Amino acid sequence: MTANPLDLEEHLQVTPITISPSTMIEWTRPEPLSALARRCIESLQPGDYEIYDEKLRNFLEEAREVFVRSGVTGMLRAGDLIVAVYTANGDLANASAGTYLHCVTAMLPVKFVMSKYYGNPTVGVQDGDIFYANEARYGGIHNPDQMAFMPVFHGGELIAWVAALTHNPETGAIEPGGMPVTARSRHDEGMKLTPIKIGENFRIRDDMLDMMENFTSRAARMQAIDVRARITGCDRLRRRISELAADRGNDFVRGLLAKLIVEAEQATRRRISRWKDGVYRSTAFMDTIGPTSCLVRGSLAATKHGSDITFDFTGTSPENDGPYNCFPHITAAHAAVTMYAFQFHDLPVSNGALAPFTWIVPEGTVFNADPDAAISSSPMINSLTVSVVQQVFARMMFSSEDRPQVTGNICCQPCSPLVAGPNQHGVPVAELDNALLNTDGHGARQDRDGVDAYGFAYGHATRAPDTEDSELEQQFLRLYFRLRADSGGVGTFRGGTGTEAALVLWNVPFAAWAVYATSSYVPITLGVFGGYPAASAPGISVRNTDLSQKFRRGDADIPRDTIELATQRAIQGEYHFEHTNRPTRAGIEGDVIVATTGGGGGYGDPLARDPELVVQDIRDEAISEWTARTLHGVVYDPATLLVDHDATKAERAKARKERLSRGKPWAEFQAEWSTLRPAEHALTYFGSWPEGVANHPLERT
Amino acid sequence: MKMQITENLDVDVDARVWSCHHCGAALGAAEANYKESCLVAARDPEEIWQPHVREEVTFSYHRDWCRIVEFYCPGCGWLIEVEVLPPGHPITHDIELDLDGLREPQKGAH
Repeated sequence: MTANPLDLEEHLQVTPITISPSTMIEWTRPEPLSALARRCIESLQPGDYEIYDEKLRNFLEEAREVFVRSGVTGMLRAGDLIVAVYTANGDLANASAGTYLHCVTAMLPVKFVMSKYYGNPTVGVQDGDIFYANEARYGGIHNPDQMAFMPVFHGGELIAWVAALTHNPETGAIEPGGMPVTARSRHDEGMKLTPIKIGENFRIRDDMLDMMENFTSRAARMQAIDVRARITGCDRLRRRISELAADRGNDFVRGLLAKLIVEAEQATRRRISRWKDGVYRSTAFMDTIGPTSCLVRGSLAATKHGSDITFDFTGTSPENDGPYNCFPHITAAHAAVTMYAFQFHDLPVSNGALAPFTWIVPEGTVFNADPDAAISSSPMINSLTVSVVQQVFARMMFSSEDRPQVTGNICCQPCSPLVAGPNQHGVPVAELDNALLNTDGHGARQDRDGVDAYGFAYGHATRAPDTEDSELEQQFLRLYFRLRADSGGVGTFRGGTGTEAALVLWNVPFAAWAVYATSSYVPITLGVFGGYPAASAPGISVRNTDLSQKFRRGDADIPRDTIELATQRAIQGEYHFEHTNRPTRAGIEGDVIVATTGGGGGYGDPLARDPELVVQDIRDEAISEWTARTLHGVVYDPATLLVDHDATKAERAKARKERLSRGKPWAEFQAEWSTLRPAEHALTYFGSWPEGVANHPLERT
Repeated sequence: MKMQITENLDVDVDARVWSCHHCGAALGAAEANYKESCLVAARDPEEIWQPHVREEVTFSYHRDWCRIVEFYCPGCGWLIEVEVLPPGHPITHDIELDLDGLREPQKGAH
C-alpha cells in the first residue's frame, strides 16, 4: 500500500515554471511520467484499464449529476461545467464536461496548489481539505467560472485530485452579471480568489462563505448555494476514488489515471499523423471590444509536422483597455473546446491530448495581455480562437479518413442576455438567458446540413434549460423563442440555424439588463470551401412599450419573429437599433430585448445545393425565398414549391457566368483592393493598419 | 499523383500544381497561394444577406467594415473559397502543403 517515499516525492513533482499569467500555459502538457507511475501502469492486468476506465466514467457521471441537482444557477443546469479527476500532481486524467474549456482551466489551479502549497507549512495539503479558485491569473478562465477542488487521500497517501467547476453569473463587478462590458482593468471585475483553502476536515468554513456572499451581494443566494453544489459534486467523486483505492489499492488508481493520459497522447499523435503536413492559416475578425464597436483580428498559423502541431497566434490584435483580453492558457482552452469535441472526441478527456501542441502567443496581444488587464469577457474575445481553430482543422483534416469531422464553423458568436434585479418573488437574481446561449447552429458538414439550434460552441454538451423554469426564476417572459430564418451560412450544405428571442421584462417594476454578443457588422462564424458565414446579429430593443395593454386586449398582432417585430412595429414604443453587444442599462416592465444567436457556417458552393433541399428549407422556414433565388439560383413555383429543374440548371449556369465576369484576375483585383481601407472608427483598437501593431497607449485605471 | 486537398482543390504532387477538383483547371504552383490563380470578387455583404431595415443595424453586415471576398475557378466558375475581410486587408494564404512530405506515405505515422 505505502509507496517508497523517494518514489512518491518524484511522483508528486510538478514541473517548475515561472508562475505568471503568460506562462501558466506551460502546465497544459502532461508532467513527465514518474518511475512510480510507470510501474503502476505496468502492474495493471489485462482488462483492468478497459473495465475501470468505464467505471471511472460512471463515477464522473454520478458526481456530475449530484453537482447539477445540488445547485441553482442557470449555467449549472445548462451543463456549463466540468467534473474531473487528476493525477496526484495535477494532470487531467478524465472528466465529464459540458464544456471542454475547463479541461485546461480547471487543471492549472490544481498544479498551482501542488507547486506552491504542497509541503508549505502555512497551507499544506491534507485529507479533508477543500480548495477553491476563480482567478484567471492562476490558471482560471474568468472569474464567473468558480471551481472547488479536493485532494484524494487513501492510506495517508495523496493519490489524486478531483474538481467541480461551473459558472456563477455574479461576481460583484462594476456591472451585474460577471462579465462587465465596461471593465477597464482587473480592478473593475469583482471577486477573484487565488487558489485558497476554504475548508478543512471535510467542512466548509463559514467565514469563507460569508466572504464570498459579501463579494456577490447582488445575488448572494446563488453564490451560497452553488459553492456548496461544487463541493458536493467534488466530494462525491473524491469518495468514489477513495473507495476504488480501498478496493484495488493505491498503485492501481495511480496506474489507471496515468494510463489514461498516456493512451490519450498516443492516440492523439496517431490521429495527427494521418493529416497532411504543412502550414494552415486562418484570419477572423470581431466587431466589438466592450461597449466600443471596432475591428479586432485573430490570426492563426498552424504548422503540422508528423504528430506535432504548433499553433502560432502572431498577427492577433493588440490588447486593449476593455475586458476583451485573456492569457495564453485561456486561448489554449478555447482551442481545446474544438479539439476535445471533434478531432479527439473519442479519446479520454485528459491532457494527454494536449501533449502534441506547442503554443506561440505573442505578448501584448488580446490573447496574452498584461496581468492587470480586464479579462472577464475572455470567452467573448476567444470567439476569434474558436473560429480560426475550426478553420485550420477543416483544411488539415479534409484529405484524411477524418473528413467526416470537417465542418463549417459551429457558431462562434455566443449571445447571452443578462437580466439582474429582484425577480417576481422579490429574490435578487442576476442570470444569463441560457436558452439562447445554448441554441447556436452547428456548422454544415461535408455530407449534410448543420444541426439547427445545436447547442453552444463553447460547451458542446450543454443544453437550453426549460423555458418555463427560467421564466419563473428570471425577470422576463419570452414573446417568441424560435429558429431564426436565414441565420445558417448558405452552401452546398447549410449551416444549422440559430435562434431568436424577444424578452419582455415582466412582473417586475424594473431590472438591469445587458447583452453579451458579437457580429453585427462583421461575421465571425465562417463557412468553409465556398460556404458562406452565418448571418448578422442585430441589436434591437423597444422601450416604454404598450405591451401591457396589448396583452390585456388580447391583440393578435404580437410579432412572431424579429423581422416582423422590426418591420411591422405592431408594438408601440421607442425602437432602438444598435450593435448587438449592449452594456448594462435599466429597463422597466414591458421593455422588449431582442437577442439572436448565430447559425453555423455553410459548406461548399451554394449553387451546388440540391434544389429539392432548397425548397425544403423554404417549407421549414430555414431560409427565405430571397436566399433561395439570390444565392442558390433555384427556380420554383412559389405556390406549390415545385422545382423547375431545367430552369434551375439554366439559372445556375447564368450565375456561374456572372461570377466569371464579376471576378477579376489577381493583379487587377489587388490594384483596386489594396487602395481600400475600413471606416476609420472601426480601427479604434486595431492598431496600425493593416499590421495590427499597437499604436496608442492603454488607459487602465 | 493527384490528391484532393479540399472540397474544391486538388494538388498534383509530381507536377506541383493546384487544380480545380471540378473541372481540372490549373490554379497555379502548389507552393503559391491558389487564390492568386482564381478570379476574385469583393462583394458587398448586402448581396449575401438581405437587409430588412435601414437603421444602424440592418440584419446584414456593414460594407464599411467588411467585404465578402469570393474566389472563383476561372475554368468553371465554381466558388472555390470565401474569405471575410475588412476592405483592403491582405488575403490569407490558407494552405501551404509540405509537398515533399506528400510524396512519402503517412510520414510520421506510428
